[in-house]
Amino acid sequence: MTTKMAINAKDIFRNQHRLIRFIEQSIRLCSNQSLKTAQQQQQKASTPDFEITASVNTQYTHAPEPIKHDKDLGHMFKASQMAVRLATPQQLQPKPDNDEELGFGKLFTDHMLKIYYHKSLGGWQKPEITPLENLVMHPAAKVLHYAVELFEGMKAYRGVDGKIRIFRPDMNMNRMNLAAQRSGLPTFEGKEFVQCLSRLLSIDSEWVPHTEAASLYIRPTLIGIDPTLGVASSDSALLYSILSPVGSYFKTGSNGAVSLLADPSYTRAWPGGVGNRKMGSNYAPTINVQKEAAARGLQQVLWLYGEDHQLTEVGTMNIFMFYVNDQGEQELITPPLNGLILPGITRDSILAMTRQWGKFKVREATFTMPMVSELLNQGRLLELFGTGTACVVSPINRINYLGQDLYIPTMEQEKPVHELIRETLTDIQYGKVDHPWSVVID
Amino acid sequence: MSLLLRRNSSQLRLLQRLGAATTAEVRRFVSRDSDNDSNNVTAAQSSTTTANTAGTTAGNKLQSTKRLNNLSAVADTDIKKSVFISQSHDIFTNLALEDWLYKNFDFGNHHVLLLWANDPCVVIGRHQNPFTEANVSRLMERGITLARRNSGGGAVYHDRGNLNCTFFTPRERYNRKYNLNIVTRALFREWAIKSEINERDDIVIKNKKISGTAAKLGRPNAYHHCTILASANKLHLGESLVKEPANYISRATASVPSPIRNLVDVNRNVNVPQLLSAVGYEYLRTAAMALEDGGSTQLMKQRGFQLVNPTERWFPGIEELRASYSSWDWVIGKTPKFSVEKELELKGDNSGMKLKLSVDVEAGLMSKIAIQLPQSDQMVPVVTPLQGKAYNEQNLNGIIDALKMVSTSNVQQAMNGSI
Repeated sequence: MTTKMAINAKDIFRNQHRLIRFIEQSIRLCSNQSLKTAQQQQQKASTPDFEITASVNTQYTHAPEPIKHDKDLGHMFKASQMAVRLATPQQLQPKPDNDEELGFGKLFTDHMLKIYYHKSLGGWQKPEITPLENLVMHPAAKVLHYAVELFEGMKAYRGVDGKIRIFRPDMNMNRMNLAAQRSGLPTFEGKEFVQCLSRLLSIDSEWVPHTEAASLYIRPTLIGIDPTLGVASSDSALLYSILSPVGSYFKTGSNGAVSLLADPSYTRAWPGGVGNRKMGSNYAPTINVQKEAAARGLQQVLWLYGEDHQLTEVGTMNIFMFYVNDQGEQELITPPLNGLILPGITRDSILAMTRQWGKFKVREATFTMPMVSELLNQGRLLELFGTGTACVVSPINRINYLGQDLYIPTMEQEKPVHELIRETLTDIQYGKVDHPWSVVID
Repeated sequence: MSLLLRRNSSQLRLLQRLGAATTAEVRRFVSRDSDNDSNNVTAAQSSTTTANTAGTTAGNKLQSTKRLNNLSAVADTDIKKSVFISQSHDIFTNLALEDWLYKNFDFGNHHVLLLWANDPCVVIGRHQNPFTEANVSRLMERGITLARRNSGGGAVYHDRGNLNCTFFTPRERYNRKYNLNIVTRALFREWAIKSEINERDDIVIKNKKISGTAAKLGRPNAYHHCTILASANKLHLGESLVKEPANYISRATASVPSPIRNLVDVNRNVNVPQLLSAVGYEYLRTAAMALEDGGSTQLMKQRGFQLVNPTERWFPGIEELRASYSSWDWVIGKTPKFSVEKELELKGDNSGMKLKLSVDVEAGLMSKIAIQLPQSDQMVPVVTPLQGKAYNEQNLNGIIDALKMVSTSNVQQAMNGSI
């Protein structure tokens, strides 16, 4: 047997399960062509096997714990005291003709929200809405030296009735305040900030197209602007928010699955660190790794941790796995909030929703690459997907791990759970169903 | 999620029939012209009781009274105002945008002023006859677009020196005087120009018109639009609004010609961008229902200026509206029935022999072409391939030229033959 033949045989042997699956599928397709289409039609006509309930059972979600503000924080800002400086017609930016010019985060709306904090002036100052303009700061500003910065990502959706809604803003506010505490930045009243945001959204509401599936990305940011070089809490800070129009609805390309690079030599977060806070300093080190993934023809990075190569996050998203467990039942699993994981709001919503459905087991536990490989070999791995605000769910179909390609059958399932989840969440977000998670502003 | 991007009224009705609605489903807001169709879905539903909610299919009369009650419950301070500035300068696109907002936007708590300017065009009223207002063939030759708007009134010439303002409100809060006063106040505040509103709702300065008005009232929305002549090209204006010399017998709305003037004739500093700003700010700083200036405190509470891009991506369904506005069937085809008469002198020895040409035009097409022979009352139909074709001045002149070739001897023969 020549070396070439040996290598080929090795390849076949390694990927035998994938090959078997592929052949099985082809056979199924060939013989049951008509049957499959009939089945598909039947699926569409039959009622969905879950109900979008108009309420959430509180035992499945935890209301975020109230934030404890510092004793010497000072004055809190109130939305009712807001000053507004509207943009003049000359300052307005023209709206692009079509989606191709949009991208993500390249274009911004006409106005922004700014709230200053100065301990020497008593605390939080009056909120103001101003035309979108550059920030001016001292070159010693802490944010520029020590990345004293945190941000949030939320979306405003124009619903089927034309009203604008935001999804669970209280969760983002809580997350922001926790991150502020860790960075020595001042905390604030989430409710007041959401009201200020609502005013900003109503002023720039025409930046959300009138189609049924259009959204505006909201980026609240908190930075330390104290003009001193000491590594200490900021006595001055700026809380601001800008808005960016995003592509109106999914085109066939972006709905596709992603391929990942899983390289254990890179670590995104570690115990005792700030992997569980949405701080800018977590993201800068990932840019080069993403570049490497792209160079290898892969789209995102799968962040592993520890000797046992635990799967933690995908790019900037949380990760979920749907598989058949040792008891033979279907199970949805995601890593627990052990300090390495960003507590995603989409993640929390999915956990609450799926627990309420009760159709399969839902568990928060760590899982490792060896586990994934083993499940894949036994054909027990059904779906693997990332979750986040930007695209709700992002199915994964390939992982490049230690030089090997693992092919995940996420897109090959007949009734994929990730599609069900995506549809339910978007129905809530776009107001197709009345739900307390989707707050109407306008 | 359905692949339909926008649910217009007919799609909504279809969905209703298919029973797709669950009890918690939210319906799209839909506006209708003043017809009381009981199958209409005319209101938006939401879980919170905001001031402009009404019941769904509970019967239209109940709906409208409920709506009235809900609307009157809205305080002046609850209404926020926006000024939309159209990014397009195409008359058809802007007409489509105006129509889209009229049909789809919810103005309950949100009054809108739409400001737009067009490249050179002539716009006639809904029920007008373009041939009595302008020389349609010559407009086409000179690249001036002809358009028909949805509101009544007379013909106007637009170019970039003319600013159009459309004031949108719910039907119950329609107030023309309020809107026109916003304009006169803006002119005074910005340039100390004094102007009056005459009994025909024109804005005049020393008896010369600077603005004309038209409106459309429907359910639940209404709009009032007016022009403001800042620096229009008066020469082109005069040349465009001249009809072909012929006797038009038509029952369409005729324009009332008035002497006009540009604001720039009154004050050299007037220009369209500044005018846009001035009218917009005046609109925003005035209270919503009373003509009271609230200054910068009132201004701060409003939603301000916004550019709008009238494309399908931002306003789904607008392409269809634009196609309808630019179609021949709408611009020319909607012309009410009329006839044209022209007397022709024939060549030949007997000068003084006049032939009267009469063309009947229905829906823009020449339905009957006939000539009246001299010294006779009879109308003789003319057989020509032009029958059934579109009427325009060029075709008319074509027929006239063909008839002029006819010599008097031929006519004599025809006359003798018919006796």
